[in-house]
Amino acid sequence: MIAIALLLVPVLAAAISILARGAAWGPRASLVGHVATAALAATLAASVLAGGPLSAADGWLRADALAALLALLISVMALLTSWYGHDYLTLVRSLEPPDARWEAGRYEAIVHVLVATMLLAALTDDLALLWIALEGSLLAATVLVGYYRRPGAIEAAWKFLLLGSIGVSLALLATVLLHHAGARALGAGSESLRWSMLMANAASLDAHFVRMAFLFALVGYGAMAGLAPMHSGMPDAHAQAPAPSAALIATALSAVILVALFRFHAIAAASVGPAWSSGLLTLFGALSIAVAVPFLLVQGEFKRLLAWSSLAHIGFVTLAIGFGSPLAGLAGLLHLVVGSFARGLAFLVGGSLLHATGSRRMDHAAGILVASPSLGLLLLVAAIGLVGLPPAGTFVSQWLALTGGLITDRGTAAILSIVALALAFLGISFHVLRMLLGVSLAGFRDRLPRRSHLPMAVLAAFVLILGVWLPSPVRALLDQAARVIRP
Amino acid sequence: MSPLELADWLPRSNTVNLLAALFLLSALRAAGTRRVRGCINAYRWNSLALGLIALVVAFDTGSRSVALASVLIVALKAGLIPWLLSRRVRSEQVLTRVDLPMGMLLCGALVVLAFSQTRVLFGPSPSILASCLPVSVATLLVALFVMVTRRQALLQVLGLVLVGNAIFLAAVSITQRMPLLIPMGLLLDLLAGVALLGSSAGGVEDKLGEVSASPFDRTTGGA
Repeated sequence: MIAIALLLVPVLAAAISILARGAAWGPRASLVGHVATAALAATLAASVLAGGPLSAADGWLRADALAALLALLISVMALLTSWYGHDYLTLVRSLEPPDARWEAGRYEAIVHVLVATMLLAALTDDLALLWIALEGSLLAATVLVGYYRRPGAIEAAWKFLLLGSIGVSLALLATVLLHHAGARALGAGSESLRWSMLMANAASLDAHFVRMAFLFALVGYGAMAGLAPMHSGMPDAHAQAPAPSAALIATALSAVILVALFRFHAIAAASVGPAWSSGLLTLFGALSIAVAVPFLLVQGEFKRLLAWSSLAHIGFVTLAIGFGSPLAGLAGLLHLVVGSFARGLAFLVGGSLLHATGSRRMDHAAGILVASPSLGLLLLVAAIGLVGLPPAGTFVSQWLALTGGLITDRGTAAILSIVALALAFLGISFHVLRMLLGVSLAGFRDRLPRRSHLPMAVLAAFVLILGVWLPSPVRALLDQAARVIRP
Repeated sequence: MSPLELADWLPRSNTVNLLAALFLLSALRAAGTRRVRGCINAYRWNSLALGLIALVVAFDTGSRSVALASVLIVALKAGLIPWLLSRRVRSEQVLTRVDLPMGMLLCGALVVLAFSQTRVLFGPSPSILASCLPVSVATLLVALFVMVTRRQALLQVLGLVLVGNAIFLAAVSITQRMPLLIPMGLLLDLLAGVALLGSSAGGVEDKLGEVSASPFDRTTGGA
């Protein structure tokens, strides 16, 4: 029941946002929708923790610990980015010529639709429905990427949609192949694409077809999530979307797609043995980190820096899951969560900086700590979270994942990624320190109201607290979630 | 009939082989022609072959959903989408990154690659899967090649709908009873439709010029 309500609330909120037609209560009602979604996701997580996986809607929906964790991440990120977006969009609208403005409520409605499709992807047990939900997310996200309708944004949306479409197509082929692999054991009916059924019967699946299915899923969902070498649409999309949308797309959407890939990996590992698919995940994960490094070292724009940092982060999560050891699996999911908070925070700070300096370029910002101490501190916490310095939670997750990797036979990949992470650390800290320190430039003014710092402060608190204290329900949820996909 | 028999049941048939050949050749034609309308026509033939294969499969299995799929394929993929595409033709000349003879050579290599890699899955299997899956993967690679090498947004969308056809061929020949298959196929076309609408409504080609609109140009990620 909770799972169904969790899907219905964002749909309802989207409808209300449209119906409000620019009334003053419209944006507030939309925020209430996000609060309700987050509360339901927390309830769902609590009941999954207490009573194990929940099934609903005749088995189409199934919330295991991983799904509950993901739903919680999606709804919390949606709530915080939309809370910030409330003021951000007001500012953006006031700067746009009236004929270029979106109809009131449309932006909020599309964010709710994106949240609903992501939640469906997180909660469904059926791989065909998962695919449909992710295609819906792709469409909704494309609209958000093209929000500004200037040539750069349209080009970015075009790239995002076309590369995403290729990913979606290949993922469909993967789904079809997996259905064929399972048709022998499960029959061809409506249960043959249930993930839990495929996992339970993994040993009797046709191994050739499982291998092919995983390969296509890796390339397809990898292209959608933006794993290297299929990443070329992502940096532009993240850089061009409005800050709150970019924060949501770069964190929640990437996480949902990655988890879809990990579910294919779990089936492949259970069917043909863990070595093969884990090896591929390790390879693509390490490659993604390595590809991001040069762009993190030599970079001019802040949002692009964040986009490339996102690539390194999702690469790291993939790498950690690929290591396959229990410790690395747990740490990989922790990194998925804390890394999302850090990147989300960084994108939101980036939005404030864009309007404070009037420029996307990092060399147009200096001395932020003096000019706006609170914004400067938030940027500092975001940077600590991005590079994985203590006391940020990403330090713990990276430390544990790499320790978990070094004890496996993939130690070389772990060592190489330590080198790459060190270089990424140099790049990001160089750029951020130049922005934070020095003499503040004239004309720097935070044009968003002070209250817009609040959602960012919440994200910053998550990043820091999870580094020193992992509350026992969160740890239990992470642990159970990691067991779901452990080979 | 048990599900097991259904999944592996369809014997190879000369009709399907012939249609699969038409399917692959029309995709190669789309990759090889110099005229934009020629590409769209090739896509129309491709869809027609797909629709007929689905019809044969529907006839053999008695599956209503595949019969419905074949009707939808002919109506949408061989009718509506080519019509929508041809309405948006601005220039007659195909603009490519790789010149056409070289492109055809590469496509030939892709076809050989696809056949050599997928044939091993079946051995001397008597099912139509053995003739359709290699054709499907080969067409998929050729279609991706079209998407990557064409400069016009319209032809990139054409590559995308060809990718959709290739995957639908695999789906129809592999699994006649996969749940949600038809909605999934329709959604894939919807994606192409949105891309097409976006390219004209957003004015991708007008605003950017045909050269810079490709997602496959190197991202401007550096400083």
